[in-house]
Amino acid sequence: MIEVKSLEKIFGDKQALHDVSFQVKKGETFGFLGPSGSGKTTTIKILTGQMRQSSGTANVFGVPVSKLNTSEYRKRFGVVTDNSGLYARLTIYDNLKLYADLYGTSLQRIDEALESVNLDSEKKTQVAKLSKGMTQRVLLARALLHKPELLFLDEPTSALDPANSKHIHNGLKELNRQGTTIFLTTHDMEEADHLCSQVAFLNKGVVQLLDEPKQLKKQYREEIIGIELKDGRELELPLKASSAEEIQQYISREMVERIYTKEPTLGDIFVEVTGRELV
Amino acid sequence: MTFSVKRFMAIFQKDLKDLYRNLYISSTALMPLIFAVIYSRIGEMPLAMHLFVITLSLALVGTFLQCAIIAEEKEKNTLRGLMLSPATLTEIIAGKSAVTIVITVIVTAVSMFIMDFSLSGRGWLIAGILLSLIFFIALGTWMGLITRSVVEASVYILPVMFIFGMANMFIGLADQFSFLQVLEYTPGIQLEEIANLSEAGAGFDELWKPFAIIGAWVVVTLVLTAVTFKKRMMD
Repeated sequence: MIEVKSLEKIFGDKQALHDVSFQVKKGETFGFLGPSGSGKTTTIKILTGQMRQSSGTANVFGVPVSKLNTSEYRKRFGVVTDNSGLYARLTIYDNLKLYADLYGTSLQRIDEALESVNLDSEKKTQVAKLSKGMTQRVLLARALLHKPELLFLDEPTSALDPANSKHIHNGLKELNRQGTTIFLTTHDMEEADHLCSQVAFLNKGVVQLLDEPKQLKKQYREEIIGIELKDGRELELPLKASSAEEIQQYISREMVERIYTKEPTLGDIFVEVTGRELV
Repeated sequence: MTFSVKRFMAIFQKDLKDLYRNLYISSTALMPLIFAVIYSRIGEMPLAMHLFVITLSLALVGTFLQCAIIAEEKEKNTLRGLMLSPATLTEIIAGKSAVTIVITVIVTAVSMFIMDFSLSGRGWLIAGILLSLIFFIALGTWMGLITRSVVEASVYILPVMFIFGMANMFIGLADQFSFLQVLEYTPGIQLEEIANLSEAGAGFDELWKPFAIIGAWVVVTLVLTAVTFKKRMMD
């Protein structure tokens, strides 16, 4: 679905992307993770034909991104970026109706898209009266209207509260189950962990790690079993057969409050790999 | 390249709804009517004065309105949304120009009605006005594309309004200030030329020149608009 090879982007004397390569297969939810200024938005802009790369190749739907500016290709993808806008004087419904007509989708899809972002009861509300979070949800609904094959989302839940983020996440999972490939940028590692089948860590324009979240956690986990005892003590034992007897003793004496493995979060792994916090 | 009437109409209807709620822009459209009322009260108006109000209507409504509509789309980041949709350059420009054309035609017609100026039997002038309308709208589109906000557009448009909207008034000063002679090539003055020649019974062998000059302006602004639009599709 997306194939990027040795992508570079230079702004004046600043290199925003260095030799970036990755592939996104059909049906995947691909997370492009990194802190602000790491090059995530630049990558989305290149992939959606809004910006030209300095060198390297970027293909979407098997064609170079420079060829994406035809009606046929634009009908196949949807985009929500930080600079997407809505018509403030119009209602939510009128905003979505414009795009339903542009994409040639039925007006019934407006209600379905609004329901997926939990805004079905607000469709007659003027956009100027919406909060930032609600505006973000309308933008998402707009991108979902035509059920795109490929959806580009740039920090889709950055302005949302946890309840609405969860609602959006469920909607995106459902969309992905229905076959939409999702390319998501975020600095929210929980979001990436929850949604993505593949993640790339982008730091200062360089992809430093690329794998499945499950594999990364396995690779970076500490080989330790933690035991929290009822008397308040916490023990750490090596994750080896030799620890089994000691653990069994604590259990048989009914001393154990909780047993756990020390699995890192994607955030922990990012910090370990890049030496940078995700801000 | 295909042209989708449905997409064109979607943009047109959206703009109509949006403009209806935009008092700043829609009230500007009333300005030429005020001029028409003032001039109509001074008694018998010469042809030049009628054409001044007509040109002002075309510039103030056609150019300013279009410029403000496009500049606002840029300022609010909604133009990029349209550019990323299946709508083509032609559909977007045509859709966004249609509302301006309708309002400009209505305002110009009402201005003429107030001034008691009839286009009946003035076929060449009608053709000249329509050609000029394309120029003024293309000029407004281009100005909207090169500015970043409605406020910036309102500032940039002022000298343009003076040059193209009020050339018929300033040309009277060309004897004192020779640099103003360049205004003779503006569409407003060429419209006057078309009106005068056709009133005198001239044929196309004489009328082609003012039409060619206005046509040249149309081509230049359309090319500028298309080139700038394509540039604005990219960051």
